[in-house]
Amino acid sequence: MRLELHRIFVNKLAFGDKTGVEDGTLTIDKKELLALISEDELLGKNLDVDVAMPGESVRIIPVKDVIEPRWKIEGKGQVFPGMISDVDPVGEGKTLVLSGAAVVTAGKIVRFQEGIIDMSGPGADYTPYSKTCNVVLLLEPANPDMDKHDYEAACRMAGLKTAAYLARCCADAAADRVDVFDHPNIREAMTSHAALPKVGYLYMLQTQGLLHDTYLYGVDVKKILPTVLSPLEVMDGAIVSGNCVSACDKNSSYVHQNNPVIADMLKRHGKDFNFVTCIVTNENVTLADKRRSSGFATKLAAMLGLDGIVITEEGFGNPDADLIMNCWKAERLGIKTALLTDEYAGQDGASQSLADSCVEGDACVTAGNANEVVVLPPMEKVLGVPNEANVIAGGWQGSLAADGAITVELQAITGATSELGYTKLGAYTI
Amino acid sequence: MQKRVMMTNNSALCRIVPAGRLVKGSSLDVLTAVRDAVHLGSLLLTHPLCGNLRPYQQPFRSVLMQENPGALVHLESLSMIEDAVLLYRSCRDRLVFPNMLPEPLRADYAFVDFELMKESLELYGLLPRSASPDFTETPDFTNTPDFTKTSSATGEAAVMF
Repeated sequence: MRLELHRIFVNKLAFGDKTGVEDGTLTIDKKELLALISEDELLGKNLDVDVAMPGESVRIIPVKDVIEPRWKIEGKGQVFPGMISDVDPVGEGKTLVLSGAAVVTAGKIVRFQEGIIDMSGPGADYTPYSKTCNVVLLLEPANPDMDKHDYEAACRMAGLKTAAYLARCCADAAADRVDVFDHPNIREAMTSHAALPKVGYLYMLQTQGLLHDTYLYGVDVKKILPTVLSPLEVMDGAIVSGNCVSACDKNSSYVHQNNPVIADMLKRHGKDFNFVTCIVTNENVTLADKRRSSGFATKLAAMLGLDGIVITEEGFGNPDADLIMNCWKAERLGIKTALLTDEYAGQDGASQSLADSCVEGDACVTAGNANEVVVLPPMEKVLGVPNEANVIAGGWQGSLAADGAITVELQAITGATSELGYTKLGAYTI
Repeated sequence: MQKRVMMTNNSALCRIVPAGRLVKGSSLDVLTAVRDAVHLGSLLLTHPLCGNLRPYQQPFRSVLMQENPGALVHLESLSMIEDAVLLYRSCRDRLVFPNMLPEPLRADYAFVDFELMKESLELYGLLPRSASPDFTETPDFTNTPDFTKTSSATGEAAVMF
């Protein structure tokens, strides 16, 4: 498979009469965009679109998802298959990317599971989305008693539609840079790089229920058996976040599109190892599901003759059990593992970091301690609902001070301890 | 006789699940009651840790298990529940109890607890089709914990049948 990402670099946002991009400025026809998202009868009348730029004194709260604007300009299928496009396979051809721009959906559902993005100040250092030019959708349900599943789906679709719309309107613009990715099929992978170890990527997705769901080609991942997926399909939006679990370690749709584990493994393919494939798996609630999925995912790895797998987790607590089952089952099949997770080690960093462990899990990378406390100074402008700081996970009653400052754990900051590694936090062995 | 039951301190959920057993107390009290049942031969059907929330943040906990009176202790279940109890005990001082939260936040947590159990309840045929819990109802706090004692969550909670 071969996929070209045609990147147009965006460093400025503006509202105007026609949506398009020129000289790094993404102009948005606000009226047309609002009309697009207002088509959904599940959303209310008071929808709004605003922008937030890096370095501005702006806070966005409560954040649900972040999505990168992309649109396929050549090749089969279309971005976000099974969600806003048909279900045909993606991952080949040419895809336009508005690099540097992001769509942020803000709208409360179940309040404690959402996050904060500060565009400047100390909070900005912890979230990668303070560096993107953000088109912020301020959403509300058509009526306050609406079913939470319906409203979550409506918010998710509004974000995806907006991301596709923005990029589609720029489809004729010339790319600033073209990144080319080639990934071999399994037969080629098996017969090439004989001297290098065969390595796969076991991609765990949060799938526990409302606000904890992820979609693959539009299919609720909790209902799948683990399956193989080309890393290039992920870049076209095959995986979409439908969850607003603890903000710091939810994998937003943006991070799936830009998965740094995939990017790095593709870079090292053919040099340090032979990157054979991704295997996607779920994180379900029942023990039978956990056993079935971990058994099946590691069986696939063994059938493919993999020597090693990188495993990334999404979330904390219950998913730690899935991570550990995947780890020891793979190791006992003779497949080496490297784990990527984050920690909840208490505000002093002295508590047990993971809820589960095994002796085989001896190669583990952390994305930081989500219990670290930070003080976010007041911002001149708040997009959304500032007093949600008192109830979101990582905050507490009194988190929001009278002057607008917020004292929270990193847990409350969107993407702060990304378990795909899309964060500045990390740890070094000294 | 084998029987599937749900141990929970989520009274609104317990009311709509005939196999529900209400534990009046904290999330740790639920886990302690489950642990006691595992020692008597019960088998865990769902993992004892809650989904993507720190143990001390989610005041509600629900666990599905299968009772096997007289059976040998199921070691995998025992290992999981003992580990979970230890983890919850390690943050006992920070545990949130249902009555510590303002409405509608308490209702939000109760709702998510239900949502995370829903698939499992349906899988094991324990959720009546007409079931529709009301999480906004006034909770029953007759067994409100006494925070002046450090042992407020020691597993001595009342299990209601």
